[in-house]
Amino acid sequence: MSLYELRGVSYRYGRNGQAVSALADVDLDVEAGEFLAIGGPSGSGKTTLLNLLGLLHAPDAGTIRLDGRDASALGERERTRLRRERIAFIFQSLNLIPVLTAYENVEYVLFSRPLSSAERRRRTLDALAAVGIADQAGRRPQCMSGGQQQRVAIARALVRDVGVVLADEPTAALDQVTGRAVMDLLKRLNRDRGITFIFSTHDPRILAAADRVVHLADGRIAS
Amino acid sequence: MRRATLLLTMSLRNVFRNRRRSLFALATIAMGAVGLFIFMGFNRGLMNQYRANTIRARWGHGQLYVQGYRDRAHPRPWEHWIEDPSAVMAQLRTLPGVLDLFPRLTVSAILVAGEHTVAGQGEGIDGAAEAGFFTQLNYRQGGDFRDRADGIVLGEGLARGLDVQPGEEIRLIVQGGEPAPSSAALRVTGIFHTGSQEFDSRAFRIPLGVAQRLLATDRVESIAVALGEVEAWPAFAEAVRASLPNLEAVPFDELDRIYYRHAVDWLDAQFAFIRGIILLVVFLGIFNVISMAVLERTREIGTLRANGDGRLAIALGHILEAVVLAAGWALSAGPLRDGVAMPPAPGITRSFRIQIELALGDALEVLGLAALTAVVGCLLPVWRAVRTPIADALRHV
Repeated sequence: MSLYELRGVSYRYGRNGQAVSALADVDLDVEAGEFLAIGGPSGSGKTTLLNLLGLLHAPDAGTIRLDGRDASALGERERTRLRRERIAFIFQSLNLIPVLTAYENVEYVLFSRPLSSAERRRRTLDALAAVGIADQAGRRPQCMSGGQQQRVAIARALVRDVGVVLADEPTAALDQVTGRAVMDLLKRLNRDRGITFIFSTHDPRILAAADRVVHLADGRIAS
Repeated sequence: MRRATLLLTMSLRNVFRNRRRSLFALATIAMGAVGLFIFMGFNRGLMNQYRANTIRARWGHGQLYVQGYRDRAHPRPWEHWIEDPSAVMAQLRTLPGVLDLFPRLTVSAILVAGEHTVAGQGEGIDGAAEAGFFTQLNYRQGGDFRDRADGIVLGEGLARGLDVQPGEEIRLIVQGGEPAPSSAALRVTGIFHTGSQEFDSRAFRIPLGVAQRLLATDRVESIAVALGEVEAWPAFAEAVRASLPNLEAVPFDELDRIYYRHAVDWLDAQFAFIRGIILLVVFLGIFNVISMAVLERTREIGTLRANGDGRLAIALGHILEAVVLAAGWALSAGPLRDGVAMPPAPGITRSFRIQIELALGDALEVLGLAALTAVVGCLLPVWRAVRTPIADALRHV
């Protein structure tokens, strides 16, 4: 059984006015532990596909199965619960909460789980250590470099130990050297911890680091 | 617990995140809430001062009559008055809260001064006792007769009709219980005015003993009561019901229903309206500020929701922030000591100064109201933000 099974998935924006097709009839299987890249030019549907994989939308047509369960038929509340249990995100613009420290940003996402404070602390410090910024735990995002902030975002994605991390253009806001380092980190976490990474990018050098690349063009899988 | 602490920390830090905006928000709430607080203090001061003036002008905290006496007119009223007033007052002094008692009776008389003769209606009072408590009567000339056994004070119109001044003598002729009229020679000690021309043209006050002698009675019509505090009246009235069931205890606001009670109701309605306007201003200010803050954080809200936080949990965090903001100003109002000059209240001839009475109860009420307003003011923007599709929220700039 695949981690993800997408069959005939379509999604349109602007339902009430002019509808624009973002994805059309997409079939895709993703296996657990994959390091999968979604490539394609801007507007090709990469972010929409990631949003659907992350259960942020329900598809207009088709089915999305996660762990064999049809997630496309779930309501908002069930999707939120499944997302909390199985999926983590890394965003292009990081989206860290500026008033919280690195430690607090990472710890915050654990509050939805019934963990003791000691266990929460252990996991938070482990996640920060795993991305190499344990010494920055007390700093706020605005006092950190872009690469450090991205590492906090990655630690935030890791800390819940959900097994699937979706990353939308994770290196787009970083310089080339930092971007490369971040991809190396993601790759290492994939290899050492067996975490499934699905990320979108249009940078050919980043695509080269992936185990498999799915190319999108005009909302369809090109290859 | 840790989550609550972090949420509170987050709320506090968010308050300082955009200091200028928070300052505006705080100023909005503070101005509204402190304004409301001071307004309530002013209102309380005005009402209390007005009440004190009403009590000390004429009525006391209330008066006692024989049961049923006030319900109808009597051809020989003195036959329905309170018997053995000394014994009754001795018993009343043992009741809770009683500070002083003032026996009174009404007397109709013909007043004669030289060539002038005018009909009047007055009260026999214990001048010495009343002078110590009823301090709000306005004298144009002279003052109370206090313990002078032959003193009389006259309403301004009555004195003018008799053409007398303080120090001059007048004669009272009264048709009481005896077949023949009785009379007494009295000396004017003061001329007062109440603001009611009709009342002042016939009102006078004489010593109680003189009035009793003229009416050939040892009874009194009523006993005005001074208590330690207004709030003691219900307990006192209950004690009167229990120990002196033939007497009726009537509070001052019932006796002065036309002026005092109606004025209080009228002012209360006005104050409620103004309070509503202040709350609306606070509400709109909060709504605007919170809307801006939430709009700025739409992407953060999207991130939290993408990570599995529920709408309610996120909304609660923002509401907590509004509460923190609302609570920030609470103790900023300093007491205003100088008071505000007020024109005479209805039924009272003296202007007075209102002390703005800031009370803990008002502070708590204002805190609650402003916090509630702040929370309600943030509900709509927060609810709109948490209902934004997550993908749209994440794209928000």
